[in-house]
Formats: sequence, C-alpha cells, structure tokens
Amino acid sequence: MTNKSNNGFNTWQKSFEKETKKNFSDAKSETDEGIDIKPVYTKDDLENFSFVENNSLPGQWPYTRGPKASMYTNRPWTIRQYAGFSTAEESNEFYKKNLESGQKGLSVAFDLPTHRGYDSDDDLVMGDVGKAGVAIDTVEDMKILFNNIPLDQMSVSMTMNGAVLPVLASFIVAGEEQGVDKSLLSGTIQNDILKEFMVRNTYIYPPEPSMKIVADIIEFTSKEMPKFNSISISGYHMQEAGADNVLELAYTLADGMEYVRAAMSKGLDVDDFAPRLSFFFAIGTDFFMEIAKLRAARTLWAKIMKNFGAENERSLILRTHCQTSGVSLTEKDPYNNIIRTSYEALSAILGGTQSLHTNSFDEAIALPTDESARIARNTQLILQNETGVTKTVDPLAGSYFVENLTEELSKKAWDIITEIEELGGMTKAVKAGIPKLKIEESATKKQAKVDSGSRVVVGVNKYKNPKEPSVDVRVIDNNRVRDDQIKKIQVIKKSRDTKAVEKALTNLTNAAKDETNLLIPCIEAIKLRATVGEVSKALEQVYGRHFAKSLSVSGVYGKHFEGDEEFMKVESKIKEFENVNGRRPRVLVVKMGQDGHDRGAKIVATSFADMGFDVDMGPLFQSPKDVAKDAIENDVHAIGVSTLAAGHKTLVPELMKGLKEIDPKSKIIVFVGGIIPEQDYEFLYENNVSAIFGPGSNIIESAEKVIDLISDNLSKE
Amino acid sequence: MELVDKIIKGERAAIAKAITLVESSKDTDQQISRELISELIKKPGKSIRVGFSGPPGVGKSTFIESFGSYLVSQNYKLGILAIDPSSQITGGSILGDKTRMVEISKNPNTFIRSTPSRGTLGGISMGTREASIILDAAGYDFIFIETVGVGQSEIVASNLVDIFTLIVGPGSGDELQGIKKGITEYADIFIVNKNDGELKMEASKTAADYKSALSYYKKLDELEKQVLLVSAIEQTGMEEVIKTINQIIDQNKLKGIFDKRRADQLEYWIEEEVKNIIASDITKRLTSKGNIPKYSEKVMKNEMSMYEAVETITKDTLKQ
Ligand code: B12
Ligand SMILES: Nc1nc2c(ncn2[C@@H]2O[C@H](COP(=O)(O)OP(=O)(O)OP(=O)(O)O)[C@@H](O)[C@H]2O)c(=O)[nH]1
Ligand SMILES: [Mg+2]
Repeated sequence: MTNKSNNGFNTWQKSFEKETKKNFSDAKSETDEGIDIKPVYTKDDLENFSFVENNSLPGQWPYTRGPKASMYTNRPWTIRQYAGFSTAEESNEFYKKNLESGQKGLSVAFDLPTHRGYDSDDDLVMGDVGKAGVAIDTVEDMKILFNNIPLDQMSVSMTMNGAVLPVLASFIVAGEEQGVDKSLLSGTIQNDILKEFMVRNTYIYPPEPSMKIVADIIEFTSKEMPKFNSISISGYHMQEAGADNVLELAYTLADGMEYVRAAMSKGLDVDDFAPRLSFFFAIGTDFFMEIAKLRAARTLWAKIMKNFGAENERSLILRTHCQTSGVSLTEKDPYNNIIRTSYEALSAILGGTQSLHTNSFDEAIALPTDESARIARNTQLILQNETGVTKTVDPLAGSYFVENLTEELSKKAWDIITEIEELGGMTKAVKAGIPKLKIEESATKKQAKVDSGSRVVVGVNKYKNPKEPSVDVRVIDNNRVRDDQIKKIQVIKKSRDTKAVEKALTNLTNAAKDETNLLIPCIEAIKLRATVGEVSKALEQVYGRHFAKSLSVSGVYGKHFEGDEEFMKVESKIKEFENVNGRRPRVLVVKMGQDGHDRGAKIVATSFADMGFDVDMGPLFQSPKDVAKDAIENDVHAIGVSTLAAGHKTLVPELMKGLKEIDPKSKIIVFVGGIIPEQDYEFLYENNVSAIFGPGSNIIESAEKVIDLISDNLSKE
Repeated sequence: MELVDKIIKGERAAIAKAITLVESSKDTDQQISRELISELIKKPGKSIRVGFSGPPGVGKSTFIESFGSYLVSQNYKLGILAIDPSSQITGGSILGDKTRMVEISKNPNTFIRSTPSRGTLGGISMGTREASIILDAAGYDFIFIETVGVGQSEIVASNLVDIFTLIVGPGSGDELQGIKKGITEYADIFIVNKNDGELKMEASKTAADYKSALSYYKKLDELEKQVLLVSAIEQTGMEEVIKTINQIIDQNKLKGIFDKRRADQLEYWIEEEVKNIIASDITKRLTSKGNIPKYSEKVMKNEMSMYEAVETITKDTLKQ
C-alpha cells in the first residue's frame, strides 16, 4: 500500500496543502543530523526497516524497547546527580544531604587537577584546585569523601579518565579500609579515554598507552569486581561539545568497539567483560530525536556485539546513564532552564535510560547551589511520583514517527561506523583529529544558527527578559581549598614510609615498561599513601605527557552569513582597519590553566577568522606567563581569554602581571569570555579587562565590539 | 634609533614591534622599516638561518618543537618564523602553530612569531627576510623559517636561509619522479620524519629511495646531500640533524660557499625588489593612462590587431 493509492492519505494531503499553502513534498524540516522530518507519518513509514524490528518486545532482541522486560514498572530509573566541589569534607556533606532527600546513587565530579594527574600543591594548577569538582590528592581524601556512606550499599559512579589508575586504586583502597572488599563495590568508572582526546580534554598520556590503561582496568574489574562497570562509554561530552545526534551515536558506539577489541587483545573472552560495559548519553532539546537515539543505540549495540561473537545475552544489551544537556541551558533568564531540563528528562525516560542526572538552572553561571540542586533532583522525583510515566514500558513503541526516526538514526550512524571501521577504527581516527574536527564543524553550525536567529533560544535571541533576575551562586574559595589540601598532603608525606612509597613508585614505573596490569602496582602505591600526582608522574616517566595538535575548521561560520548586513559591517570595519594600520586586527584566543572547555574558544576563533581577523590560537593548558610571551612575540592587538572552569579570578590578574613583566608599556588589551558570574565583573574590570562576553553572546556583535575596542585603544597612542 | 638599541638588547616587545613594522603594508611603516633594517644590517649577529619546508601535515611544526627543544637544552637561542599556510583568501586566518610548539614556546630562549602567508610569493610572507635580519641582530643563534612546500615557495624560501631542509613523510619516495632534478638544487638536507611505530619500515625505505635518487642526480663538484631519519614525536635523530647542519655550515664556510650563497641571495632579493618596484610603477602608469580599455576597444572593432595594440601600449607606457 503506497501513499498514492491511499485515498484517505490523498484527502489528508489536500487538506494539508490547503491549510499551509505549501506542497506536501516541500513541507519537510531538516534536523541538525540532516534528517528530513515530514509533517506526518503513517503506517507506511514502518516498512523496509533494516535495523528496527517492528514486533520486538522489551528485554528481547534487538533490545530497541529497553534492556529489561519490566523496565520502570518494576523499579524506576536511578536518580544519580553528578556533583563535587572544594574539599572531600564539603562534598561528603553535600552527598549525604542529597541522599537524605531522595537521591539514589552517587556520581563524583573531580576537580581538574585531579583529572589531569596533578596534586593540589603543583604550581601548574594554582587557579583550579577544588573549583570545578572535588580535590583528591590521596586515599585519605577518598576516605573522607565516602565517610559514613557504606560502599557495599551505595553505587558510586566516578567520572575519571586521565588519572583513572590512581583514582580507581584510591576508591578500592578506601573501600578496603572501610571494611568492604573490592568484590562488593558497585558503581561505574568512566574510563573512556577516546572521547577525552576528542572533546573532554582531561587526558594525560598519548593515545596508545592510554588505551592500554583502559584495557587493564577492564581486565582487572572483570576478574575482581563483578558488580562494577569497567567503563562508561560516553557520547554525552560529544553532544555537549557540539556533535549532532548521529555523530554522538556513531562515535560512541565506534569507541565502544575499540574498547571491546582492546579488552579482547588482552586475551579476555568477550562475554567475560561485555556485560559490564555501560554507556552515557546526552539528552538535548530535540525531544523525539533523543528518544529515538537511545532506542537506536540499543539496537545497534546488540548487532555490533553479536558480530563480536558475544553469546551471553547480557553482552548484547546496552545499559546507559543519561544527563540532560548543559549546553542547552542559558545564563540569560535562567529559570527557563528548569523547563528545558524537565522536557529533556522526560525524553530520557521515554527513551528508557537506566539512570539520569538532571541539570540545575544555574548551570551556565556556576556549580549548583543547594537550592538549585534540590529543584534539579525534584524534577526527577516529580516525574517518578506524579506523572505516571513509570507505569508502562516503552510507551512510544509503534509510533510511526518514533519508530521511523529510530531506523533513520540507526542507518545514518551505521554508515559512519562503517566508514570509521574501514579507516582502521576510532583510535586511528582520533589520532588524526577527524572526529574532533567534525564535532567542531557541527558546533560552529549550531552557533551560526543561533547568532543568525534562524534557531530561537527563548530569552537569548528572542523573547528576552527585560528584567533579568539575579540568582545566588555557589562561591568556592580556591585559595582556601588549596591551602587545606596542601596541609593534608604535608601531613601525609611526613607520616608515611617514604622509602616504601619510593619503591612502590619505581615498581610502577617499571611495570609501565612491560605488559603488567598497572592497577595492581597502583593499588600498592596508593595503599602506602603515594599521591595521585606521584602515581601519575611515575607513569609519565615512561609514557610522556600528551599534547594535542589542534586543527581548526574554517569558513563554516562565514558561509552561514553570506550577504548578512551585520556580518558585512564587521568585515568592512576590518578592511578599513587594515587600510589604516597596515595589517588586520590580530587577536590571541587562549585557554589557561587546566580548563579544557574549548568549544567556545574554537568557535570564536574560527568565526573571528571568517570575519577577517587574524586569530592566533593558543594550545590548551597554558600558563598566564606563557600566554603573555606568545601575545607579545606575535604583537597581537588583543588577547581573548576563554574561561569556563572558574579559574578567572586567579588567572586573569596573573596574565596582566605577565604582560607588564615582559613589556611594562604593553598596550595589548584583554577581554574575557565564558562562565563569569555577574558578581565577578567588577573584579575583572578593576583588573583592566576591557570587555566580558558571557554565555549566549552573539559572536558578530562581540566581534564588532572587539574591533571597536582595538581601534579606540590604538587611537590613544 | 631607540628601537635599534632595544632590539640589540634583545627586548622581546621591541623585536615583535619591529617585525610588525616590516610586515606592515602601510607606506609610513615601510619607510621606518627601511631605516630600521639599514641600521640593523650594520650590526649583524651570528645567526645561522635554517629553512624547513615540506608538504602540509608532514610534521614541520612538530619537528621544530622537538628539534628546537633539543637546541635550547644545549643553550642555543632560537628564533622561529612560522609562515602559516592556513590563510583564507576572503577572511583572516587562524594561526595554529603554537598549538604544535607548546614546549619551546615556553622557553625564555626562544622567540616564535607566526605570520599569515596571505598567499603571496608562494607561501613566503612579505617581510620574512627582514624579520630574520631583526632576529639576527637580536642575538639569536639559529633562525628557523617554517614554510609549506608548494610549488614555487621552496625557491623563494631557499633564498632566505643558509641551509635549506626539506621534510618529507614515509612513503613520499614515490613522488620522487615528480620532483626529480630541481630538488637537489635548493635543498641541502632531506629529513624523513615519522620514523616511528608502524611507519618505521616505510620511513627507512623512503630514506633509501631518496639516497639513491640523490646520488643519481649529484653534480660532480657538489657535496653529498644528506638524508636523515627522524621521529619528531619520539624525538629521535635530533643529534644527527644538528651535527649535519654544523658540518654543512663548516664546510660551506671553508669553501666559501657560505658567503657566496649570501651574496647570491642578496642579488636575488635586489632583483626581486627592483622588479617589484618597476612592476608596481608600471601598473600605476597603465591605470592612469587608461590605454588598455582604449586599445582593447579598437581591437574589438577590428581597427588593429592585438599585437599592434600591445606594442603601442608598451611603447607608450615605457617612454616618459
Ligand atoms: C559544554 C560543556 C562541557 C563539555 C565541554 C566540551 C568542550 N570541548 O568544550 C564537557 C561535557 C566535556 C564538559 C566537561 C566538564 N565541565 Co562543563 N560545561 C559545558 C557547558 C554545558 C557549556 C559550555 C559551552 O561549550 N557552551 C557553548 C559555547 C559556545 O559557549 P561559551 O563557551 O560560553 O562561549 C560563548 C561566550 O561565553 C563567549 N566566549 C567564550 N569564550 C570567548 C572568547 C572570546 C575571545 C570571545 C570574544 C567570546 C567568548 O562567546 C561564546 C559564544 O556565545 C557549561 C555550562 C553552560 N551552559 O555554559 C558547563 C560548565 C562550564 N562545565 C563545568 C564543569 C565543572 C565541567 C567539568 C570540570 C566537570 C567535572 N568536574 O568533571 C568537566 C571537565 C571539563 C574540562 N576538561 O575542563 C562547570 C564549570 C563550573 C564553574 N565555572 O564554576 C559549568 C559551568 C557547568 C556547571 N554549572 O557546573 N563541560
Ligand atoms: N607518527 C608521527 N607523527 C608525527 C610526527 N611528527 C608529526 N606527526 C604528526 O603529523 C601531524 C602534522 O604535524 P604538524 O607538525 O602540524 O605538521 P606541519 O608540517 O607543521 O603541518 P602544516 O604546518 O599544517 O603544514 C600531527 O598529527 C603530528 O602529530 C612523527 O615524528 N611521527
Ligand atoms: Mg606547521
């Protein structure tokens, strides 16, 4: 039965065309993924599927409808809020309060120094200690973190990838010293290094040794920790970095395949470890697309694992955690974020997630306060207790639209996966930088849509709130946290058996030279009170530290604005500037400290270049002093600091000092973009920052302001 | 000139400002920059200028990071001029070299300047030669010039340096057919990079291909061209590179080739400069007289042939 032969459909089509004054065939809307959404779907759209099977059931092949037969009708999803800040003491207090208020699982957010394998007393991390997560230097901190939280009863998820060895070792030892054997520990370690190289940027070692570490952990946990998920294969960060859903889906599953191969190359049987692989996806604002994505992910993974020869049914089943999208949340009119998060949460539930984090409305301002965290948690409690969504499994099954979308997404993702496999797999692709570039391209397109107004963001580019509310923010005094941590480190270093620690670290270094499973010597070192930094350095001696080579997209932003008046205005200002000054305006865009959020910096850099600026792009993790040297040697007109991990109050004054040290008469102006709470504006202006561009800033408007500021500054000479 | 003193003292900001001046397209800046260069020329330093060219992505920047780290660890002062190929024709450019030179850019004994090539001179930017004069006066031991190797640019780049190095990747031996003879005329050293991991075999084979091709084209009185294997990522082969550079420099100095080259290069640049001035002068005259549209119309109307028009215009433009 085709559409044309269907009388009912023809009548509908006529009515549609009359109402809309559009041809039905033109009435499609294209998604970011390049999928055409039709205004109506019918039974015909359920035909010719190659992935989705129309009459499948929950808990059964190909698991599209969910990993379990009963799903939420038996037990609702786990409310698992990601949190951590300042010291272990303070985070522990926060966790305990949350658990009392209905949260069910823990999820630890570590600070950036811990992620990158530096101790709190390292000069390189001055601005970052305790700022964007909790600082863990030794097993003593880990023990404090779980004080009065019985680790044999509480499942704990840990987002840790770079310093995964010392941190997992600390967790195991903390459990042991709490009296809990490692075989009883339940939870998840993220341990997904490939997406770090792509988007999250808390890697330490180069790709090959990093992959070896991943495999070591899978091996160890599969043998010793049967209740523990060895990895959380994450697409979440890709979408947050700008990937559309097809890219997120394809790259995540392709990463998963790479990990399966890595584990198998250690001689493990696929069914020994595959049941303990878990996943993590982002849930953005495209309501049905996100539902379809989770369904497609399960469908594809089952197929992939079958191809790997898995026989145990549990190896075929994709279980996932989800988090609502942080990047969809805005600094402007922030209460709108509660509404956005609610829809996203519903989407995740209809897609059948196993656990969920919902973001707080102050997401684009700072880490959540107790109050905003409560609202975020309640979003899920209300869904579970008041809406009835738990009463039936996969309620959208059979929806012409959702089933069709599930199939479409599966197809598109499969094509990309096949392409990557042909190129030799994800590790190779990641090393060549291709996935990162594709994600940046997608991110740049999204930015162009918002800046041009073709995509509406309520409260940002339309329906602005004339009276922006002011909200309370969580303030972390990183200097105090750093001092506290340093004191703790000093005490431990005095009381431990230094010789034994040194020996354990040497053992670890030696183990890195052969095929030994590194977690075992790590546990030994950590038990003896070696620090996270020391353990990381012991491995660094063999592996070296990885520096990413960054590529940039070009022309993507500009293409969106062909013939746009505002865009051309900036272009012509730049041409005029060049005529007057003999060169184009030159801006150095930098990331300082351990902050790895590079989406904004990369987008701003490529967009500015498209408008005609010469843009110097600094590497990640620069110190303010290095930035000053770069800026002066290249004689840039301005430095644009992109800062999202709350290091700005330490790093920006250091930069100003650095500039004056090299050139007391430096005329280079500095502006700042990223997450800057309103309360900090004055401080930055007092430190001679020329302008601040917060989240949601229109890049063309920002560029115009920058060129004007540069011109003003030059005319003062 | 105050700027001159500051440059000679090695003040970072002064060096940077001076490079801006020599790169500037503004007439007044060009004026000052000429005076500046005339002054600096009188106080030459002792820099050795080394050019690194090669196809995009072969690892030039990574090599410079790696080799440069080795040199600064030996207490050499190192100036780097990176001509960034990533310029766009319509817009500005993204200068990303610093993301590949993370370690050396921190070192106080380096000065690293990126310049957008703007597509001029096959990759060499306006002012690169002058910039190397500034760095020389400022006391840098080595000046590295990184350019992308596309077509003509090698010739131009090789005229800026005392030693010209071509960096190639494993597997590029197949392309030898294409570059053949010309290659030996401007490159002194061939570096086969990425001699690591899976690529090792291929890299050795490539080096062998180059060696045999080069011996075939070697002129009788010439020095043997050197082919070296390195891994920029694993930092291997670096001592060999510096040894070879020093050897070539010493030999060239001994044989007078070093000074002869500098003299030839001077001739080259004088010629280029004169050509440029004449060309821009002629262009100005052509436009102001408006002969071209006038005669073109006549040719269109079949009143004269194109050759007659060309001859008439040329004569008219050159007289005066
Ligand atoms: C995307 C995102 C991520 C991605 C980053 C991907 C990437 N490669 O960039 C992922 C998921 C990996 C991530 C991870 C983490 N994140 Co995060 N993340 C965000 C999020 C949701 C959006 C940031 C973003 O990219 N926005 C889109 C871009 C385009 O916007 P933008 O950067 O703000 O840039 C705009 C303006 O600010 C301005 N601008 C910015 N820079 C510049 C520069 C110049 C020159 C100019 C002119 C303008 C300008 O113009 C841009 C265009 O409008 C924010 C919250 C939010 N909604 O802002 C949290 C947020 C920044 N993350 C946070 C944290 C804590 C983390 C982690 C440290 C968590 C942890 N403990 O593990 C990790 C570690 C990451 C790391 N390595 O540093 C916190 C920081 C807390 C704070 N500042 O107090 C935030 C604020 C969320 C929160 N409230 O908790 N994150
Ligand atoms: N395996 C291997 N890869 C290398 C080596 N050197 C560079 N690379 C890789 O080659 C890629 C390009 O390196 P760059 O240093 O940016 O190359 P480039 O020649 O400067 O590139 P352009 O300036 O863009 O022309 C990067 O991904 C490097 O990691 C090496 O010695 N071995
Ligand atoms: Mg380069």
